[in-house]
Order: sequence, then structure tokens, then C-alpha cells
Amino acid sequence: MASKYTFDAIVVGGGPSGTAAALTMARGGLKTVLIERGRFAGAKNFFGGVMYTHALADVLPEYLERKPPFERPVTEQGYWMLSPDSVVRIMHKSEHYKQEPAEAHTVLRAQFDPWFAEQAAAAGALLITKTTVTHILQDAKGRVIGVRTDRPDGEVYAPIVVIAEGVNNLLTQKLGLIKNDLPPRFVALAVKEYISLPPKEIQARFGLSGANEGAAIDVFGDATMGLPGTAFLYTDRAGLSIGVGMLLEEFVSHKLRPYEVLARFKNHPAIQPYLDGGKPLEYGAHLIPETGYDRMPKLSAPGVMVVGDAAGMVDAMHREGTNLAMTAGKMAGSTAIAAHQANDFSAGFLRQYRKNLEATFVLKDMKQYRRMTDFLDSTPHFMGTYANFLNDAALRYFTAHGMPKRDMEKQIVGLLQERRSFFGMASDMLKLLRAMRG
Amino acid sequence: MHSVVAIKQVPDTSNVRINPETGTLIREGVPTIINPYDIHAVEMAVRIKEQFGGTVTVITMGPPKAMEALIECVEQGADRGILISDRRFGAADTLATSYVLAHTVEALQEAGPVDLLLFGKQAIDGDTGQVGPGVAARLHVPLLSNAVAIESFDPVARKAVIHRKIEQGIEVIETSLPALLTVEKEIAAVKRAPLPNLINAASYKPELWTADAPVPFDIEQVGIKGSPTIVGKAFTPPAREAGAIMSVAEKGLSEAVADALAMIVQASVVTLPNQNGGRP
Repeated sequence: MASKYTFDAIVVGGGPSGTAAALTMARGGLKTVLIERGRFAGAKNFFGGVMYTHALADVLPEYLERKPPFERPVTEQGYWMLSPDSVVRIMHKSEHYKQEPAEAHTVLRAQFDPWFAEQAAAAGALLITKTTVTHILQDAKGRVIGVRTDRPDGEVYAPIVVIAEGVNNLLTQKLGLIKNDLPPRFVALAVKEYISLPPKEIQARFGLSGANEGAAIDVFGDATMGLPGTAFLYTDRAGLSIGVGMLLEEFVSHKLRPYEVLARFKNHPAIQPYLDGGKPLEYGAHLIPETGYDRMPKLSAPGVMVVGDAAGMVDAMHREGTNLAMTAGKMAGSTAIAAHQANDFSAGFLRQYRKNLEATFVLKDMKQYRRMTDFLDSTPHFMGTYANFLNDAALRYFTAHGMPKRDMEKQIVGLLQERRSFFGMASDMLKLLRAMRG
Repeated sequence: MHSVVAIKQVPDTSNVRINPETGTLIREGVPTIINPYDIHAVEMAVRIKEQFGGTVTVITMGPPKAMEALIECVEQGADRGILISDRRFGAADTLATSYVLAHTVEALQEAGPVDLLLFGKQAIDGDTGQVGPGVAARLHVPLLSNAVAIESFDPVARKAVIHRKIEQGIEVIETSLPALLTVEKEIAAVKRAPLPNLINAASYKPELWTADAPVPFDIEQVGIKGSPTIVGKAFTPPAREAGAIMSVAEKGLSEAVADALAMIVQASVVTLPNQNGGRP
């Protein structure tokens, strides 16, 4: 059988997780092929995008010398809470963020992913694009031994296959590592536009001193029409990334069209001035798994491991994903190297991958926020109610009517009680606390 | 059998815009592709190789980025890719380009005969269709432009029968080999390349030829020095306006025709004959 293997390892998908796995395995001396269905790595990707650098540094310590296509370092970040006509902003800006290398950057994946895949290729991985893996090949005992692609003579063999196929995890499903297709309740749909603006204009609008500063803003409340979800506004070098994400189920049950929700958000009086005069260059949509810790697929089986979005590795609470993906890719890669050294590709050996991952932030964070989706599910009013309250309260607080302040304070308390009973509020907070503590 | 295919990496003109001030293409940020006709030329060469054996060499003059295009040709089944790239080749017109490509083919001929030269009929960025014919003239080989099919191909008798598109229809013509064909897309439908080709191409490094090595080019004949063409002015022609539509369903046939005729007469395109049916 061994002679049939063309490669030591096959990676399906050239996103952050797959590329991190391929890079790690290639550096570990494994003959690795990375198969990507898009015209180039990143062609099928789309995301908000803040990328946290720690995971990249872990996979590729010399990343800075390789000149990654970062847009701007994130030097200011925070939350905007919208009501239909107002906004309360909580922003954090710090000199600390200016230390180099910056810990977070805005990036555009159509640029970042090809660069990252190039690093894997430079490490010796073979990058094959424009090719879709249609089947995972198994031997009579069910061990994974390779993949079949949509090309003529399209089979390749390896004792290890890393599935990094992304959120639409058809191969993971076919292998039976997860029972069902993604239910609309556990997958978010994000729509985004890239709006081109001159760098100077961006800096003036967001109060940034130069191209070495950038802002990352998450927006709640009216941005998603009060429904569970978030919107975002990130500064790129010469453009803005603006988008809205909500659970697919919300779009369906409220009969909302994603582009209409985005258009509504863009026209909000607190948002529109930031976009004014910008040219939309790109519109796109992408699914984000919100499956959570308890509904993850099995992460390994004989000869195969699953990484990244395909395994639901997303922390929606902190809008993290690419860092979880890269760390998981690296873990899967190191496990594959160890498996080759031990010449053991069994289920038992590959279970190391999950075990190692449990010790990292990836599964620890996912475990901690395991109830987040349920929380939003059980308190669908949460975002809308409190964002509106904050804005109304701020209006009272910051206006002088010749009214005694004690009366104003009573009014504010009244505003809250109108919206939510004391017990309702207490239950919301308790649920939130529980969801955060895990 | 040795076929040489010349290709060009071009901006994907389905995405391209014109700078209204300078009249030139805005190339920045526009994805590049292999000139659509050229990839059919590569496919034809690969099919001939599959039938008669031999090798397919793909050559291109262009910036370093054009390496990608050569690798794509190797994916498609070519054996060898040569990038002819040097700053001194920059800003070449069709005269200078045909010199560089012809000189490259001559250098390849030193190592062994070249039996067939294939070019796309024109590049979609410049649309001149002059480089292929220019190379044929320089190499003194028969030129068959706008080829749509190879009816027969005999590498032993060194003959081929080619169908080429002409204004009146299709011309069927027998040629001696070597010959140079510039091809239409119909010459060969591009097949989805097999996976082993892609695996092979993923680690393939095309050769880089400069103005000095491995063969020296005459610097007087390349780049801007060797290009007598001067672009006086480039402009975007005004978009054509849509024509009027006469609805027979609404107006009835005779009124629609009468209205249409009236519009034509008004536009002074034709004059109607007089009432007697005689000439005006």
C-alpha cells in the first residue's frame, strides 16, 4: 500500500487553517500537497477582517520579513451601540497598540491568503489551485488514504489528509465526522462591502494620525435591526470594510434580504458620513459557523484531521476565527509529523491533535463560550433593547431641560423599566454572565 | 515534433477601465490572464503532441509576473516555458516584439528543428494581430492567419491542411512545415487539465531569458529603441445609443414599418423612391 502514496500529506483548502497545516508539515519535512478550489488561495474567501498576529507568528516566526499584506494595524477598537437615530460609542485607543509588531491588523483575505499560501509553497508544499476535492478516499477498513478531485486522473494518495474545506463542510459530512448539515440556527451569514476611499480621507474621518493607525469597530443594536448579530466597520489602507452578520435563521424567519440589512446599516445617520463619497468596489457574503463547542465535528479519524471553519473553530464573542484556524492548522500539522515519525496514522494516535488543541486557547475559549449561541437564542431582544435604552438614557443625561436631575434620573430608570421588567433584566444579566463564564 | 507557442499575458479586459485623461488602460489592480486565443493555441499544440509525440515549448515576452502564465501553460500540457524578460524590452511595439520572438525561435532552432509555430490571432489588449505575421515574415515560414481547424497533419511528409477563416467563408489550404498559424478559439476547445499536470506544474520553474543570455539580442531592435510606432492619441469612442423599437403588437405591422421608414428617412440614411415607384 505504502508505494501507492504520492505524498506524505494532503491538505484540502488553502485558507488560514489549511495553509498553516501545509506550512508546518512542509517545514517538518513532509511531502505535502495543498489543494485549493479557487483560482488562487483566498479567491473563495471573504471576511471582515481583523487578523490577530500571535497565531501567524506561531506558525511563521519570521512573518514580518516576508512582508505580509496587512492593511492597517488596529490602534483603536470598540463598540458602537445604535438606536434608530443615535449612537453610543465605547472606544479604546492606546499608545500600547502602537508597539511593533502590532497584535492585530486589518487585512483583506484576497491579498493575505495568496501571500500565506506562497509561504507554504516556499517551505516546500505543492500548491494546486483551481481544483476541487470531491471525495475522501478510504481503504476497506475505513482508513483515509487520499482524495479524489474534479480533474481527470484526479486521485492522489497520502496516509494523512487534513480537511480545511471551510464552513461548507461537505467532505467532513460525507466522512460521517459530523451528523448533519449546518442548521440555519448555528450558522451566521455575513455580508460585506469594500468601499474605496483615499487613505487621507480615512485618517481624517476616523481621527487616525497616519497609515500606521487603524480602527476596528463592532456595531450592535439597530445595525442588525435589533436582532442578534453584529455589524462591523474596519479601516483598511485605502478603503473601509463594512458589513453585517446575523444567524441565517434570523434572515429566514424575518424574511430579510442580507443586502437590504446592509444598505439600511450603511444609511444610518451615525454611519453614512464615514462612507460618504466612497466607491463600493466589492460586495460579498460568507457563512460563519456558530456551531459552538458542543456541536463540533469529530476532529480526527484514521488518516484524517479536520481544522478551521470546517470544524466550527470560531469565537464569535471576540470576532476571532483566523487565529483559531492557524493554531489548529499548526497542531494538526505537528500531529501529522509525529504520526509519520511513529508510522502510526490510527484513530488513537491522531487523537493527540484534539488533546493538544484542548490545551490551547482554541478549544478553551470555545468551551468557555459554549452557551453563547443559546444565550442569543433565548434572549433575542437583548441587542435591540439595551442599545435603544443606552441611547435614550444618554439623550436624557446629556440634555438640560431645567428639570431637576433627580427627576431626570427617575425618567432614565423609567425608560429601562418600560422595556424590561426587573426580573427580565436580572434574568438577562444572569444568562449573559453564565454564557460568558462557560 | 517540436511546436513552439507564443503567448501573452494580458489584463482581463472584462474588468479593464480607461483613464479618461490619458486614454490608456488602467492596468493597476486588474487581474491578468493568458490572452484567450493563446490558450487555444497551447491546447492545439498539446493535442498534436499527444498524437505525434514530441514537445511543446511556450514562449512569452513580458514582465516577471508573466511566469504565472507559462506555469498555467505547463498545467495545460506544455513541456517547457521560456520567459523573455528584461527592462530593455519594455515599451515594445509589434515590430520589436516580433523581432524578439523570432530571434528566440531561431535560438531554439539551433538545438533542433521547430516544426510548427502557433500564435493566438491577436491579443485582446492591443488587438493588432501583427506579431504572429511579423514573426512568420522574419523566419521566412508560411503564415496561416485566423486558423480554425487542422484537417490533416503529417510530420513525416512535412505537410498540413489548414482551415482558415476569411471574409467570404473558410479557406482550405495545404502548407509545408514548418509553418506559423495564428489561431481562432475554434481551433481546439480547452480541456480541463489532468491532476498530474498540475502537480508537475506546481514545482515547475520556467526559464528566464534576458537581453544578454542565453542568447544575445540586438539592443537596437528591442524595446522602445526598436519601436517606430508612435501613439498620437488614444480615446474612448462614445458608446452607441440603442436603436428604436417599433412594436408590431402595439401599432400593427404597416404602421410599425411606416414609422420605421420615416425614422430612417429623417436620419437621411436613405431616400424613398417617388410615388410612381420609379427612381428618385
